[in-house]
Formats: sequence, structure tokens, C-alpha cells
Amino acid sequence: MKEGFRQSMAWLHTWSGLLVGWVLFMVFATGTSAYFRDEISHWMKPELHTAHAASQATPAQAAGQAVRFLEREATGSTRWNIGLPSDREPDVRVTWTRPQPPGTPRQRPLAVQLDPATGERLAAPRATRGGDFFYRMHFDLHYMPALWARWIVGFCAMFMLVAIVSGIVTHRRIFSDFFTFRPRKGQRSWLDAHNATAVLALPYHLMITYTGLVTLMFMYMPWGAQTVYQGDQKTFFAEAFPNAAGSAPQKAAGRPAALVPLGPLVEQAQARWQGAAASRVVVTFPRDANAAVTVYRDAQSSLSSNQASVVFNGTTGQLLETRGEAVPAASETRGVFVGLHMGHFAGPVLRWLFFLSGLAGCVMVATGLLMWAVKERQKYAKALAKGGRIGFGLRLVDGLNLGAIAGLPLAMASFFWANRLIPVTTADRPAAEIAAFFTVWGAATVAGIAWPARRMWQVQLALGGLLFAAVPVLNPLTGGAGLITAGAAGHWSLVGFDATCLLLGAALLASAWWLGRRKPAARAGTAPRSAQAARPAQPAAPAPHPHPAGEPGLSPARHTLAAAAAEGSSP
Amino acid sequence: MSAVHLTLALSSCVAAFSALGLAMDRHYEDSYGRGKAPSSGLRRALRLVGTGGLLLSLWACLAAAGTAQGWVFWFGVMTLSALSVVLVLSYAPGRVTRVLQGGVVLAVVCAGWVVVG
Repeated sequence: MKEGFRQSMAWLHTWSGLLVGWVLFMVFATGTSAYFRDEISHWMKPELHTAHAASQATPAQAAGQAVRFLEREATGSTRWNIGLPSDREPDVRVTWTRPQPPGTPRQRPLAVQLDPATGERLAAPRATRGGDFFYRMHFDLHYMPALWARWIVGFCAMFMLVAIVSGIVTHRRIFSDFFTFRPRKGQRSWLDAHNATAVLALPYHLMITYTGLVTLMFMYMPWGAQTVYQGDQKTFFAEAFPNAAGSAPQKAAGRPAALVPLGPLVEQAQARWQGAAASRVVVTFPRDANAAVTVYRDAQSSLSSNQASVVFNGTTGQLLETRGEAVPAASETRGVFVGLHMGHFAGPVLRWLFFLSGLAGCVMVATGLLMWAVKERQKYAKALAKGGRIGFGLRLVDGLNLGAIAGLPLAMASFFWANRLIPVTTADRPAAEIAAFFTVWGAATVAGIAWPARRMWQVQLALGGLLFAAVPVLNPLTGGAGLITAGAAGHWSLVGFDATCLLLGAALLASAWWLGRRKPAARAGTAPRSAQAARPAQPAAPAPHPHPAGEPGLSPARHTLAAAAAEGSSP
Repeated sequence: MSAVHLTLALSSCVAAFSALGLAMDRHYEDSYGRGKAPSSGLRRALRLVGTGGLLLSLWACLAAAGTAQGWVFWFGVMTLSALSVVLVLSYAPGRVTRVLQGGVVLAVVCAGWVVVG
């Protein structure tokens, strides 16, 4: 077989992309939503919508108030964790471990949300996983051990990297097609859309795929550390991530002692960081002689995920240790990669830019998957014209495309609806919400495989669109603060959630309408044009042969990816 | 990122990509009619505006968000601007020149604001 380098790359791109495309679409969609993980969680707890939109207290004041609550409610606990208020999270979130007899299984720490100004409990929100569900699913999937899931996602991410690099090689007209999108030209349009969303957000795609692999690099490639540390993982992690371990006392002294006021310690730490805010305070062995207070710096002040912290003696207030200020270069490199992936540093504008790039990634994966089906279908054009059938592979791909691309948004919207419609008193409510998500997704996929037709695309896209678009109506009807109420109160995270759902819903409905617009009669279409002939000056010419994926017996256009690239490159 | 810096970064980037698009035969034809091509002087000027606009946008990002975040910002701004320009070039090719002009004016005003204020 004598094939050119570019042809082999086109082959590699096609098959590496198709093999893992459906998982990648899910990973992109859930990961994109995770940029607004806190905001989604907040929306999913309508009981908290009436709380203040912005914190009414400084981090130092809030820490002081939280301690008063914990001294009252968390007696006997060995570890308090105080999440301080920020722009994104105006409440104080305290968690504490419960005292438990040795030998019993570890219990989850208790968690309560407090008003930062008074230190009193906010209304108890409903039980939900909130945005954490999508965040976890992004790399842990669900209903399976996290370890397997991470191997699966890592495998797919590696293929994604292969697909990106081979895609760049295959696409030889990156610059001359930089701004090109030719609508209403069948397969050509799918290719253009795939190229535009891939090339124009390429820095993001490369960054997010590579750094995603880096986040779990010690799992995927443990050999270096294993060799140097001779299998002693614990020491390795303690040395690589000094934040995790630490020199604070590891045991209670057993002698009671008063805890120093936390406010001044928070202020001292913030002064050390040139005014960067503190985000979290951890108190170990509170009210014991061995108490220690660790203040963590807010993630917004640095790209790196290596979070700086300061450790104080909990009874004298004496500074014991500073961490994360002089991090070794290798660790900082990894820290910046991981930090870039998570985007914790991003303020609102940058967060939206990340979100948009993530959406571009979803479109890129979706158009890539659809294009495979559109091209494959052409091979059956003659057979179909004679009343034949399409092959098993194409049918399967069509079905999976439907389940992934149309079914996932439908399931995500259903998750938000389930959050509001499942009674608050339901036992194990978070699991019920998640079950609703997977039931809808599973049903959509089964329906897609059973009947992979254009009508099914329309039904699922329209359903998902309706559910999303109606979220702003559902929200105020089920106890949340709606667009107007939240807008008046300056509660922008809630406004943003409702508005984004509305826009996503509109986009899905528009796609459903767009699919229904064309008549099958248009299929007779015109003869294929070469890339050159099709190119010049027909901006508004109504193309007579529109045909998105899913239509039986499509497009006469004959370009394959490689052929189109080769053709286009002639002068 | 202040609102002025963000507007400057976005407007100069949109203007830059519009200019770079117009400097290409295909998009110039879409915009001005079949067979029309920009003169070599115009083409050079458009490319100059394009390069200058991208650099101005980078400067705005770095000045507003610092070196580390500034670069991340710039890539995000470029992605958003380029996707918008693609939509204009595909669905309203006749308006590209208007977008270019508007972008330049807005960028100059914002740049003046940043430098003076």
C-alpha cells in the first residue's frame, strides 16, 4: 500500500476521532459545564437564592463568625474546614469531621452553609450533587470504579491528542481556509464547521487535552516516581505536594487550650500575599494544645494549582510555616498545567471565554462524528436508491451520534428539571436526580439506535431545546429566584444560569427547526462541484441540495477529507 | 480586566481579523463582487491593520491581566473574535467593511482612553 503521509494522517484522524468521539463529546460537555460548577450548584439549591448575592463580610470577619458557630456545634471534632466567602460563592461553607470510635468506617464530614456576617445557618438546602455531578462525571464517569473511569477517560484523551495532531497535518489549508464557512453546501459545510471550530479554538483544544492528561499523569505514568522512590508513593506525594502533608502536629495533645482568634491570622496571611484573598481556613485539633490553623490563598491570584498557604500555631498564633511560595520548577510547571485545565484562576470574563471555547470543542467533536456518517452514507447512495439498506456500522454510528449529540443535552436539561421536580423529602435524593439523568440519556440512546432517522434527531433536539428554554420559567415556579428577581437583587450567577439555559435551548430548537426545514425533494440536487469551482463568489446563492446528517440517501458531493484537502491545495 | 481594556482587546481583534479576511481574494470577492480583487497597496494596508490590531489586542490583554493571565486572555479573545468574523463573512459578507471600520474606531477610542486616562 503506497499512501502519502497526509493520507495516512487523514485515516488516523478519522478513525481515532470516531473511536472515542462519543465519550469525548460527553467529556467536553460536562467539562465545559464544570467551569460554572459553583454557579450550577447554587442554582440547584433554590432555598439559598434569597441569601445575599454578595458577601456582607470580609474573609477575616467571616472566619471569626464561623468559629463561633463551630465552637458551638462541632464540639469534639478534630478538623474544621471553613470555606471563606468569595465573588463566586458569597456564603461561608463549613465542614467538620465527627468524632468516631476507632475501627468504625470513615464517615463523611458534616457540611453547613453560613451567613458570613452573622455566622448563623442559612436555610438547609435540598440534597443534591449540583454541579459537582458533571464535574465528577467529566473524569470519573458514573456507576463504575473511579480508577477504571480515569483510565477510560485518559485513553480517550490520548486519542483526542492524536486526533488533534493528525487533524492539523491533514488540514493543509489552515491559513487559506482560516475564515471559511460555506453554509448550505452539504458535506462541505460540515467540514468547514469542523475546521472552523477546531482551528479557531486550536490553542484551547491543545491546551485542554494536554493539560487534562497532566492532571492524572502520576496515575497514567507512575514509573519515574516509582523508580526514584522505590514504590514509596506516600513520601513522593508528600515531597511533590508539600501542601498536602505538612509539619503541623499530627496528633492531639489531649490538653485543652483556647483557640486564637482567626480573623487576625487571615489578615496576616493576606498581607503576606500582597493582599490576595484567603479562600479557606483549616483548623486541626481545635481547642487542643496541639491546634494548628492553615490559611489557604485564593486560586485567582495565580495560574498554578499549587495553592499557597500559611500555617499558624492554633494556641499562640505564632507563624509555623509558609508553603507554596518557592515551589520547585518541575512542580510549578505541573501546577500551571493543572491550573490552566481547571481554570480556577479565571475571573468572570475569562471564565466565559473558556466556556465558549469549550462549546466550540463540543461542536468540533459533534461535527466530526456527523461528518463520518455523512461520508459513509454516500457509499450507500446507489444501494439506497434501489431500495437497499445501509450497513450495520453506519446504523450503529448514526444511533450513537443521536444518543450522544442530541441525547446528552436532553439528559442534562432533564437533570435540572429533576432537581426541581423530585420532592425534597425523597430518600437519597441526589441519587434520584442522577438516575433521572441516566434514564433519559439511556432512553434517548436506545431510541436513537432503534430509529436513527432525521425525525428522531428533530424530536430529541426539540425536546432538549424545550426543556432548556423553559428552565427560566421552571426556576421561579419551583422556589428559585427567576431572571427578574435575581437581576433586581444583582444575583448575576442565577441570571447567568437562566440566560445560558435559554440560549442553549434556543440553539437546540433552531437546529431542530433547521433539520425540518428542508424537503426530501431537494435531494435531487446539483452535480458536485470541485472545491475550486464552488469557491468564488456565490455568497448568497441558495444551494439546492442541503442535507444534514441523518437523511437517507444524501449528498452527491464526493469529496473525502483527504481529497478535499488535496484538491483545494492546487493553486 | 477592566471594561475599557476588554473592549479594546475585542474591538481591535475583530477589526484585525476582518482586515485579514478582506485581504484574501475569496472573502474580498464575497464582499465586493465576483472578479474584484484588492489592489496590492490595499492588500498590504489590510494586512498591516490586521497585524497591528492583533498586537494591540495582545497589549491590551497583557496590560490589563498581567503576563501570565494576559496570554490566556488573548487566546480566548482571538477565538471569540475569529468565530464572530467567520459568521459575518459567511452570512453578511457585505458588512465586513462596516465591521472593520467600526472595530477600528472603537479600538482607537478605547486606546486613547487607556493612554490618556
